[in-house]
Amino acid sequence: MMRKIQLPFTQTQKVRYERAIERLQSLSSTANSDASVIVTDTIPVNHEDAFLKGHGTSEVEGELLATVCGVVERVDKLVYVRTLRARYKPEVGDIVVGRIIEVAQKRWRVELNFTQDGVLMLSSMNMPDGSQRRRTSVDELNMRNIFVEHDVVCAEVRSIQHDGSLQLHARSQKYGKLEKGQLLKVDPYLVKRSKHHFHYIESLGIDLIIGCNGFIWVGEHVEVRDPVMIDDQKDDEMMISSSSTKEQSHTPLETRQNICRIGNAVRVLSNLGFTVTVEVITETVNLSNSKNVGIYDMIGSEFHVLVAENEAERRRQKRKK
Amino acid sequence: MEGRLANMWRLTVNESKFVETALQYELRVDGRGLYDYRKLTIKFGKEYGSSEVQLGQTHVMGFVTAQLVQPYKDRPNEGSLSIFTEFSPMADPSFEPGRPGESAVELGRIIDRGLRESRAVDTESLCVLAGKKVWSVRIDLHILDNGGNLVDAANIAALAALMTFRRPDCTVGGENSQEVIIHSLEEREPLPLIIHHLPIAFTFGFFNNGNIVVMDPTYVEEEVMCGRMTVTVNANGDICAIQKPGEEGVNQSVILHCLRLASSRAAATTKIIREEVEAYNREKNLQKVKRHSTLAKSEVFGPIVVVKEGHKKSSDEDKSAEISQEHVELKNSKEQEAVASPATFKGPETCSVSSDPAIKGKANDSGDAQKEVTGDVEMEDTPEVTKHKDGEKTLRDAVKPKKKKRKNKST
Amino acid sequence: MEYVNPEGLRLDGRRFNEMRQIVAEVGVVSKADGSAVFEMGNTKVIAAVYGPREIQNKSQQKNGHALVLCEYSMAHFSTGDRRRQKNDRRSTELSLVIRQTMEACILTELLPHSQIDIFLQVLQADGGTRSACINAATLALADAGIPMRDLAVSCSAGYLNSTPLLDLNYVEDSAGGADVTVGILPKLDKVTLLQMDAKLPMETFETVFALASEGCKAIAERVREVLQENTKQLEYRRAS
Repeated sequence: MMRKIQLPFTQTQKVRYERAIERLQSLSSTANSDASVIVTDTIPVNHEDAFLKGHGTSEVEGELLATVCGVVERVDKLVYVRTLRARYKPEVGDIVVGRIIEVAQKRWRVELNFTQDGVLMLSSMNMPDGSQRRRTSVDELNMRNIFVEHDVVCAEVRSIQHDGSLQLHARSQKYGKLEKGQLLKVDPYLVKRSKHHFHYIESLGIDLIIGCNGFIWVGEHVEVRDPVMIDDQKDDEMMISSSSTKEQSHTPLETRQNICRIGNAVRVLSNLGFTVTVEVITETVNLSNSKNVGIYDMIGSEFHVLVAENEAERRRQKRKK
Repeated sequence: MEGRLANMWRLTVNESKFVETALQYELRVDGRGLYDYRKLTIKFGKEYGSSEVQLGQTHVMGFVTAQLVQPYKDRPNEGSLSIFTEFSPMADPSFEPGRPGESAVELGRIIDRGLRESRAVDTESLCVLAGKKVWSVRIDLHILDNGGNLVDAANIAALAALMTFRRPDCTVGGENSQEVIIHSLEEREPLPLIIHHLPIAFTFGFFNNGNIVVMDPTYVEEEVMCGRMTVTVNANGDICAIQKPGEEGVNQSVILHCLRLASSRAAATTKIIREEVEAYNREKNLQKVKRHSTLAKSEVFGPIVVVKEGHKKSSDEDKSAEISQEHVELKNSKEQEAVASPATFKGPETCSVSSDPAIKGKANDSGDAQKEVTGDVEMEDTPEVTKHKDGEKTLRDAVKPKKKKRKNKST
Repeated sequence: MEYVNPEGLRLDGRRFNEMRQIVAEVGVVSKADGSAVFEMGNTKVIAAVYGPREIQNKSQQKNGHALVLCEYSMAHFSTGDRRRQKNDRRSTELSLVIRQTMEACILTELLPHSQIDIFLQVLQADGGTRSACINAATLALADAGIPMRDLAVSCSAGYLNSTPLLDLNYVEDSAGGADVTVGILPKLDKVTLLQMDAKLPMETFETVFALASEGCKAIAERVREVLQENTKQLEYRRAS
């Protein structure tokens, strides 16, 4: 039984939706659908070949059984089950977006949709004045000037500890506190790992950060300050004051509307279970603009059906190529 | 067991490995066989319906009380039976005072299922005025010492207490026959409960992924075991209740094997309980007879009569209580021997059948529960009995007694 | 009262070895990591799984294993008379039993320092709630992607009018006959949960037990179907 969309569909909408989904089904590679397994399914594997048992598998009485529901992936000799709906599976170097939930001793705890909370050490964070020095106890007392609870931050996974917890670091200028925008949560399996997670949509003036853990940030574009320029500003006081007073610049209405539009596009895609990439998001936004769908109506039933049909079309096009 | 981590007694890795490895060679840490039970002792209190059971180190007390209440709307002709458990913090460092925890609730419900749902106690006879007044029987189980396998011990305590409980007799009278008059113990003999059968609980512990089965696990074994099952059976071969609350999966064959083991043991344990209750009842009857006797009858009951005149407490009656009918004549001179040599003393009551190790149940009706907890009541008896042997005052009389409980014998 | 008429039909027209209709659905609570609805006839249960997530209460932490917490509660409107209290003894016992059953299936050693919460809410109670809860919890855990060694399924059976009956409803359950609830790990072919109340002679018990086990196998089939369908759906929607 499918994951129900909690929307009221009219009869025609329902029919169109079902048809779009069917087309998607037929478009998906049959190899993939055969490879989907559920818990305790036997994974077909040639026992003569040496193979490595990866995540999601276990050997019981000579058979290889799946311990989770997902799709069997084979990479060289490694056989593992890729889960669909599960918590974030971290890898070193992933870009993640998270929310601070606790200011603890010399560290911040970050909520990441992972089995444990991520840890961002004070030493892994740039000082507000940009200097590189050992963190003193004064710095520790002033941690709240950098991040407080409920702040949204962007960071990178530095390492995975032996007990499974994550260590983050946010040393570059593109990481750090995120302001003037929205945080959206989607399932981690909808986010594909790629080279670029930071996207600047120029036409709309929006920053889009797609975290590997499924947290997506949509916000007003912020110029990433060149570290070279900071060194020139030797005046510490000025630096601190300018960053702390928070230019109360007014975000123009249009930018805010665009943020909402992109946010809703992500919500629609997440509801429908489609992979979230920049291309798909921009396409969805363009679709909504072309069909003159109001921002709020984007999360209505009609737009969902439109997006589903569009996606089916898009994949069909892609397949043709 | 729940409870704060700091309060929990932790089993070391070495100990748990040792227990597991030993079990693979069919050795248990206390030397028992895999299916052997520990020593079972059943004692009764002065009041009707109070019992005390010791199973090895596990110590449980049961109390039964009854009250007239309004019946449930959907069962207007039936009385009710309810079980309350009290996991006293003195029994185990991880028990916390206040609300019963999960294991306390589970224990209560297992015993409840065994007693109530299998209709062991007849609830219809508890009805006095249909729809208005019925007897509500309440069983309180207090855990005094947790040595493992609380369920079995508590179950036996509940059964023993129920069997020795007497509820006051009551008649329906007054205008419109709507009034219920409860008669006091002196007016009319209190009535026992009607118990159809005795459901006995047997607990099994599973080890080694369900391959090794053990009966009556101790505290240490309970920490190590990966699963457990409690089977409540009666002597007629009926299974009254089963509780296997999740945990390690076991094969069907193992479960059926456990059921058969339990069935085969039920008869023996039932017999033991019945014998203990019988013995206790006999003493109680003796007491009553003595109570109503007007003449001294010193030939037979010498010491007791003397005691009444004296300042002594009821414990003397208790001393007499422990001596069975057959040995009454021996009392004057041979009491000490009788008491000191339980083997001969218990002659007619020895339970011969079971493969269970020494079941030493003595219906010891000493009015003081604490005394039994410390055990070895027999030893205390001897000096006291000597004291009042022939009504003579000895040196010990000069010593102020600890308790001055006067039992009013004026009837 | 006659629970099985001479033709062998029960009060609701089923035969002695027929189960009630099963409706199962995955992914109903959007905020939860995994969720499921399981209906057996008129008994309807929702399960929501949160986890594995950070342990809330560090003192309950188990060394090297995930902590599994389970809460069973019946909605006040689930039975005919609005009598339910939260945390009454039956709910406490069932929470304990279901937790231990699920703990036996979850590979807790793969998720140290984390906590898995299973919340079960009975929306309609018509007999067999604990079986429905276990089945719903299994579906929800699989939906949440928590590694398990097997899918625990459960079914109940009873004995009335000298006939063993599969999957009792409330009327049959309160008739005073025996009620046997069995929880099975089908792949490993092991019994995790076994509860029985009321009296039964040994041989009758074996028959009733066998009948319940058969019922469990049928439910296992159904659960697998649901999960397979769900997994396939998710995959082909996502793939691009």
